[in-house]
Amino acid sequence: MIEFRHVSKIYGKVQALDDVTFTVGTGSVTGFLGPNGAGKSTALRILVGLSRPSSGSATVLGLPYAEMACPGLRVGILLDAGAQHPGRTGREVLTLGAMTLGLPRTRVGEVLDLVGLTERESRRRVGGYSLGMRQRLGIAHALLGDPEVLILDEPANGLDPQGIHWMRRLLRDLADAGCAVLLSSHLLHEVEQVADHIVMIGRGRVLAQGTVDELSRGRGLEQTFLELTADTDRSPGAGASPGIDAGRGAA
Amino acid sequence: MTAATPIPFHRLLIVEARKLVDTRSGTVIALITIGLVVASVVARGAVVGPKLQVLAGTAAIALGTLLPVLGILTVTGEWAHRTALTTFVLEPRRHRVLAAKCLPPLLAAVALSLFAMLVAVPVTAVVAGVRNLPATWEFQPLWLLGWTGANVLVAAAGLALGALLLNAPAAIVIHLSTPLLWSVVGSLGSVGATLAEWLDLNTTGASLVSGEMTWSEGARLAASVAFWIVLPMAAGLVRVLRKEPT
Repeated sequence: MIEFRHVSKIYGKVQALDDVTFTVGTGSVTGFLGPNGAGKSTALRILVGLSRPSSGSATVLGLPYAEMACPGLRVGILLDAGAQHPGRTGREVLTLGAMTLGLPRTRVGEVLDLVGLTERESRRRVGGYSLGMRQRLGIAHALLGDPEVLILDEPANGLDPQGIHWMRRLLRDLADAGCAVLLSSHLLHEVEQVADHIVMIGRGRVLAQGTVDELSRGRGLEQTFLELTADTDRSPGAGASPGIDAGRGAA
Repeated sequence: MTAATPIPFHRLLIVEARKLVDTRSGTVIALITIGLVVASVVARGAVVGPKLQVLAGTAAIALGTLLPVLGILTVTGEWAHRTALTTFVLEPRRHRVLAAKCLPPLLAAVALSLFAMLVAVPVTAVVAGVRNLPATWEFQPLWLLGWTGANVLVAAAGLALGALLLNAPAAIVIHLSTPLLWSVVGSLGSVGATLAEWLDLNTTGASLVSGEMTWSEGARLAASVAFWIVLPMAAGLVRVLRKEPT
């Protein structure tokens, strides 16, 4: 459903992604795990056609994303919950999306229910939303077209424990219904609890991939993660020189 | 509503038009523009008397200032609020989104020009009645056409500047300071005067409004349109297509 083939991206002298190859299958949740600046956001932006790879290719449902006729009806995307016009209401944001995709307005109410935003909250301006509410709104927007593939960048940021629990259930249900879900995170425990597969990335390179059990190696996922990402650790004395942000901003 | 057919252009157009007015700032600019058109026609009526064409033409001050701002805001908005991340994943063919953004301000320029004409009719009648003066009703259809065209051109110049810079404050400052710029350039000897004569859209556009255009006036208009609209829009299109949203 999602396929990265030897994707590299170079910004000036910085190698943001280096030969990234992995796939996400149907009916599964894949966690894209890596420290801040590892290149997660860069990879996802290349996947959805917002950014061009320096080499390699990425496809969704067998096609480069930008070549799909109406991708919003097949692929749901949340790249940055903060990227909203603060002056629009949550409902208006979803209405614009539903109009663009040619969906009935009733779909707006349905996705609001799905993500647990109330009628009153939906009529408030996004500028007054907490980060958790923005995440819910962003997920609602991604779900508008009832997609087969879901791509979420750090969707758990800003969610409270109930919110994280809710999202886990939601993603699990979607995957069980046949959806391919790719979510990025720098938070190990969240990913561990929801993902079937994990792709670990650091400094733009895929460090390891497999099922949660395979990567745990009987010692826990955290230990594997810390070992593999030791050279990007910024704490004094750990690893080599302080990590260079391979991605741009919080990847 | 199938994934195999592209989003029809009219849908993109409706969505982009809605984005122009679905925020407080958008609504305020729309209302101010309409209010200023009415106010300028009424004020001119009070001063110069009941002359239909003169009164309607006064609205050009409001339209020339605010239509380009509207254009700048619509093409720069996605980048200012980072909503490009959403808009361009729903429609990856960015040139279609840009086209859908450009049409509403151009249509608004036509609509507001006709609206100014409509407002001028009762104002002319009222001024004539109140001041007991004979109303001058005649106007040349060619004038209305040329004047509307000039208003469309200034709106297009705003769109082009916005697309080129993709930064609303910078584009608005440049737009508002061009009259000053040209008065300075025009005073810089013969070279400056020639430049201003050929490239100042407000000067070259005057030939459109007068309804009579010589070949040399036409050439000057074409030069200023190329300089303020065609070239920046072409460069802006390339920028919009290539820029990676942050």
